[in-house]
Amino acid sequence: MFSRRQFLAASAAAATLVSTRVSAEDMKTLQVFIDGDTNISDWWNNILKPAFEAANPGRTFNVTVTRGVADGNGTIAERALAALQAKADPQVDYFEEFEPASVAGSIEAGLWLETSEANVPNLKMINPAAVETPIRLPYRGSQVLIAYDSAKVANPPKTFADLVAWAKANPGRFTYGRPDKGGSGSNFVIRAIHEGNGKDPSLFTKDNFEPAKAEEMLQKGWAILKDLHPFTFGEGTYPAGNSPALQLLAQGAVDMIPAWSDMALQAINNGTLPETVKVVQLQDLALCGGFAYSAIPSNATDLEGALALANFMLSPETQTSCVRDIGGFPGISWDYLPADLKAEYIDVIPVSIPTFPSGDWQKAKNDGWYKNVATNIVRD
Amino acid sequence: MSDVAKSSGGAAPGYALRTGLGPQALAGLALVAMPVGLLVTLTLWPTVRMVGATFSVDGHFSAERYFAFFNDAYTMANLRYTLEMGFVSAIAALSVSFGIALYLRFSAGRIATMIHGLSLFPLFVPSIIISYALVRFLGPNGLFQLMLEQVGFTQYRTPYLTPVGPFLAFVWENLPLPVLVLSAGLSQVSDHAVEAARDLGAKSPRILWEILLPQMRRSLLIAFALIFMGIIGAFTVPYMLGPPAPEMMSVFMQRTLGNLQDPASAQVQAVVLMVISSIVGGFYIATMVKSSAGAR
Repeated sequence: MFSRRQFLAASAAAATLVSTRVSAEDMKTLQVFIDGDTNISDWWNNILKPAFEAANPGRTFNVTVTRGVADGNGTIAERALAALQAKADPQVDYFEEFEPASVAGSIEAGLWLETSEANVPNLKMINPAAVETPIRLPYRGSQVLIAYDSAKVANPPKTFADLVAWAKANPGRFTYGRPDKGGSGSNFVIRAIHEGNGKDPSLFTKDNFEPAKAEEMLQKGWAILKDLHPFTFGEGTYPAGNSPALQLLAQGAVDMIPAWSDMALQAINNGTLPETVKVVQLQDLALCGGFAYSAIPSNATDLEGALALANFMLSPETQTSCVRDIGGFPGISWDYLPADLKAEYIDVIPVSIPTFPSGDWQKAKNDGWYKNVATNIVRD
Repeated sequence: MSDVAKSSGGAAPGYALRTGLGPQALAGLALVAMPVGLLVTLTLWPTVRMVGATFSVDGHFSAERYFAFFNDAYTMANLRYTLEMGFVSAIAALSVSFGIALYLRFSAGRIATMIHGLSLFPLFVPSIIISYALVRFLGPNGLFQLMLEQVGFTQYRTPYLTPVGPFLAFVWENLPLPVLVLSAGLSQVSDHAVEAARDLGAKSPRILWEILLPQMRRSLLIAFALIFMGIIGAFTVPYMLGPPAPEMMSVFMQRTLGNLQDPASAQVQAVVLMVISSIVGGFYIATMVKSSAGAR
């Protein structure tokens, strides 16, 4: 026979079952597309999804990873544009990261939803440096930092001049990756170019590339890097990418490198880099970085849900998780994040996030580096 | 046709059919049509078009891009480095594998079988794995350096990111093929010739020089051509292990196309490398033809 207690427990369990089934039927599922790296899709699936469901009862999202499939999210955006023209269901509610301008005609056709404080209240906290256009929703960032082994480096550099002085005083203990093989080396080279041009990133814009003038400006950067060249690891054997540079630091072959904030912080957290490795940002002029921008198609079937997700992404809780779990930078201002988090990351919080134009400037920078800096190898 | 049939005796019916266009001949042609068709449409035709494109500047015929290629000191340094790397690594790989093949020819037993297996092992390892393994083994504070330091040698300078890095990887990666080719060649040298020479008092170096090497010339040339062509086109090993500059042509080509977005220059680089490969390839085919003619 059932005891009374067992009966109550059983009926309660049955009731729960029924109620979950009902809510599962009512559950609205948003379709999110991600073509970023595994660390990003894992973060969305394992950490953000349960948090979003808890914060928005009756809503959930489904992540589809388009990384490495055709043109990634670009292909999905093309499909959404076609659906807009055919007035069909685009089968997508949210792009984790997407640049609308990369699908020609999509902006003119009105495919992208404009966001503002009116429909995404948390946008009031956004970092002003991240704001671009209303159809691009910044939510996380990463920046190149200086990673160093605190067991070997007592006073980490605060300025570019400090860094060069340290490298010269410690020959072979600093290196950076080849600029065409990864952003960490690339942005260090850019920082040297900025240093040679009065620390003024505004001198380099998308439209002002002019070969003769560029050559003259870049030469000022090459002079600094050529001067540094014999003091780098292996007297100028620059590693071929972000990871090979981190590997040299992990193996104790060098004590200081420029590295992406998320890659370095994650490597420290999971033990790939020793605990003694710390990161610091140059305070005179930071190394370059950038933000990841989400995009919402205006023809999404669940626009309200998509906006709720956008607001959730910019909440201080999610933004804290962005720093803690994936080593990213917050999209909102640090002032809205917990004070202890801010204190912990004070050394890496940039006063500015400089950028460098893509296109001709990048090409001239990369090729110029090979011809002016890398070939200057003196071997014994 | 009937003359041929008469003179070639027993083989006559088949031969006659093959020269005419009987059903068997058509079936044969149909069988080769597929690979030849693929080769023509997917390789030869695009190659011809690409070579043509390199000579077309603004719609006119011009060798301007080739002048630019051969007048650019940086590009020429890359080309020279690529050829030197191919030559030196191929000779080294050939020397080591010749040693192994010689050992395998004159010894038997479990150790020989083991060495044979080990020498073929690189055949099954992708270059990216070889590269990573060498970074960990020969890299700074890697296993090799730690072992040297255990015995008191502290002056180790890692070959990682210097030309020696890809050189070592190429030698290791290219052992299996010449071991196979040279073992086959050595197995055709008769024991009697070696024993006769030994009976007459010839020492090992003399046997090597006067009995083995002359008979091995063709195998050596074939193996050299195959390794050399493989190395000058290799990408992963120099990308991961080599110095930033000079670059091997494959790495340089990829950077020119992908990073500098300059397909025209990348095509010129590809054509130059292809011509060099074709010369070595032609040499290889000539040797093959000569050896099969010699065998008849």
